[in-house]
Amino acid sequence: MEPIITVRGLRKNYGDKAVLKDINLDIYPGKIIGYIGPNGAGKSTTVKILTGIIQEYEGAVTAFGKNLRENILEVKSRVGYIPELAELYDLLTPREYLSFIGKLYHLQDGIIEERSRKMLESFGLADNMDQRMDSFSKGMKQKVLITSGLLHNPAIVIMDEPLSGLDANAVILVKELLQALKQEGKTIFYCSHMMDVVEKVSDRIVLINDGSIVADGTIDELRQNNADTLEQIFSRLTSGGNQVQKADDLAAAMSDR
Amino acid sequence: MVMLFSALWRSMGADIEQLRAILKVRLLMDDRRPAGIGRQQRKGRKRYSIVSVIIYCLMGCGYMFLLVAVKDRVLSLTLYFSAFLTIITLMLIADFSSVLFDSRDKYILFPRPVNDRTLVLSRMLHIFIYLFRIVLPMSLPGWIALGFLDGWKSCLLFPLVVLLMIGFALFFVNGVYLLVLKVAKPEKFKDVINYFQIAIMALFFTCYYVLLPMIRRQQMQNLNIVDYPWVRYVPSYWLALCWSWIGYPVALTGTAPFSALAVLCPLAFMYALVRWLSPAFSRNMSGIDAVDVAENKKPGVKREAPGKFYLKLAYAFNRSDDERAGFMITWLQSSRSRAFRMKVYPTFAFIPVYFFYILTQNHTSLTHAFLHLRDHPKHIILLYMSSFVMINAINYIAISDQYKAAWVYYATPVEAPGKIMMGAFKAIWVKYFLPFFILISAFVLYIWGIAAIPDIILALVNVTLFVSCIARISQRHLPFSMMEQMKDRGSRVAKSVMVMLIPFTLGGMHYLTVDMLWLKFIFLVLSAILLWLVAGSYSNTSWENMISREAE
Repeated sequence: MEPIITVRGLRKNYGDKAVLKDINLDIYPGKIIGYIGPNGAGKSTTVKILTGIIQEYEGAVTAFGKNLRENILEVKSRVGYIPELAELYDLLTPREYLSFIGKLYHLQDGIIEERSRKMLESFGLADNMDQRMDSFSKGMKQKVLITSGLLHNPAIVIMDEPLSGLDANAVILVKELLQALKQEGKTIFYCSHMMDVVEKVSDRIVLINDGSIVADGTIDELRQNNADTLEQIFSRLTSGGNQVQKADDLAAAMSDR
Repeated sequence: MVMLFSALWRSMGADIEQLRAILKVRLLMDDRRPAGIGRQQRKGRKRYSIVSVIIYCLMGCGYMFLLVAVKDRVLSLTLYFSAFLTIITLMLIADFSSVLFDSRDKYILFPRPVNDRTLVLSRMLHIFIYLFRIVLPMSLPGWIALGFLDGWKSCLLFPLVVLLMIGFALFFVNGVYLLVLKVAKPEKFKDVINYFQIAIMALFFTCYYVLLPMIRRQQMQNLNIVDYPWVRYVPSYWLALCWSWIGYPVALTGTAPFSALAVLCPLAFMYALVRWLSPAFSRNMSGIDAVDVAENKKPGVKREAPGKFYLKLAYAFNRSDDERAGFMITWLQSSRSRAFRMKVYPTFAFIPVYFFYILTQNHTSLTHAFLHLRDHPKHIILLYMSSFVMINAINYIAISDQYKAAWVYYATPVEAPGKIMMGAFKAIWVKYFLPFFILISAFVLYIWGIAAIPDIILALVNVTLFVSCIARISQRHLPFSMMEQMKDRGSRVAKSVMVMLIPFTLGGMHYLTVDMLWLKFIFLVLSAILLWLVAGSYSNTSWENMISREAE
């Protein structure tokens, strides 16, 4: 099978600081990839490059067998992006916002209307379609964002911490949604700090630390012995596993000893 | 510098250390433009600030002439401070008021043990620092002139009184806001303030332009303050009276003690503001953004009617989906964003008032003015003035508190941002400019008759041309994608003053063609071709164009 996304020698610098150092990845269609790493490891930068938001980088990225740089619009129209933190124009209603997003994807009004109604209904937001989003909770906004990222029926869905702000029921719903999207053959690139969720939903886990990939495989491949959880693996690979000592130091710092 | 008065701030109940820390961070943040999407971090824009210093100096020169032209020192200073006080009050209301109610640091400051007086004072001083940077170059010409005309005493007194003047405006305007905050329901507060601001702006323009010709009708030289006894109730007169301390004569007998008000009022305002109005500031502030959720659960409350009218317009006026998206977002956001309403709506009032001012300039009475209205082609001025609404609106489409939500433009398959900008431009044109222009045209037709039709058409094309040139040159930003910068505040007032000269030039050219229909026709064709070219180039703005513009 041909990979749907290939990344070769990807580098990105902000000034003198190298954020991504030679990232190489092959992502196959119909899989859920869990992309994890500590804060500042380069996760969001990778996501922004894959979604076309950042276009200045070194290396080669191809999606659907095409070079990302040269086919940026075509790739963007087949990729859905769901960012973390509910950044949207909340003076609009969900209906208006989705209609705006739909236009940016060149969707027909009828399709936008039907898809957004159905999706918001499943999220339990049918009654809120015509309310301004400034009165929405973070979770409600996040649901609208998820809808806006899936509206154009993308083949690749890139999610950056999509569960932030969602309550337990919505988290279950999104986890089921991930499986359903996978069943439909969609590829999901899933960034998160929630190790338990990543461990459960991902077919393959990529761990990035300080701009480089430090682990790549299924959860079973990553485990050194059967008792390891993803959280423990993460801690061992990204901080040497001495969190207990660090916590003690932290608590001691306040007491001026 | 402001920390020199630490003792005063402390006596008002502020925590000096916290005050210093908050101010320092706020100023530091102003110097750092957020590195938005596709935008690199960059150093402060030195070039712009030099330009604005020059503009302020020029404005100051204009005011300075009042000092030179009028012999009576107290009177000339009254006029000087009136003009000055008006412009800084307008800046305070239009550009700086959001600083007081900026709730972005809500989560940073409110949970800390910072008292309300410190909070209010820190915001007040923050505004003061910026206002001071504007007032300094503006008052410089007047200061120098006074030095030459009057000598060192006057020269020493001047900066003191200027400071009092700033205090006057600053503490009065913000005092009123805090009073409203205390009285009004927090959720409704921003709307109340919004309409208050619009009303006060309109009132100011009206006063300025209706009262000014009354004074102007007299020759400047023969102006005598004794003819205007009511002036004793005007703050700028009190400020001017300070010169009686150093021996300048006061023509209005018995008013010299009013000079004490110049000193007492700002202090009293400040004291009242910090002592009585600022407690409960944070409590009320946190209510401002809270939307009554319970209220929303009731069906029908705060619901936007799923009206399809704007969608129809979006299809009628735009050819591509990207343009339609730009059109839709601008149409919806513009009337819902308080900041946008605040900045754009007052212009609607400004135009009729200003026209009224021009109209009555050379006439002794209103009826006389209206009787002779038809004799002069003044409708051309009115038609061209309509461009102010559009210029103002265009200036603000890119600004939004939710600028971060603009990531969507970058993550979706948008071929050229110019299409979205063009859609936004059209939305403003259709929503704000066209109805207003039609209204003005109706008035013009009523007074000047159908002979004015060619003028109306030509003016419509010319104004659109002119505004699209401005958009093409200075506004190549995606709608609602930028944060308003503290640095840019105030300078916008200055910039728009400069920009307003251009429609007068185009209008002047139009004026020359007044009796020549064929010339108008040629003018119209030329303008239409130009408009087509400019609009085309604007809508073809590519990502590269936009990024290179931003990098400049």
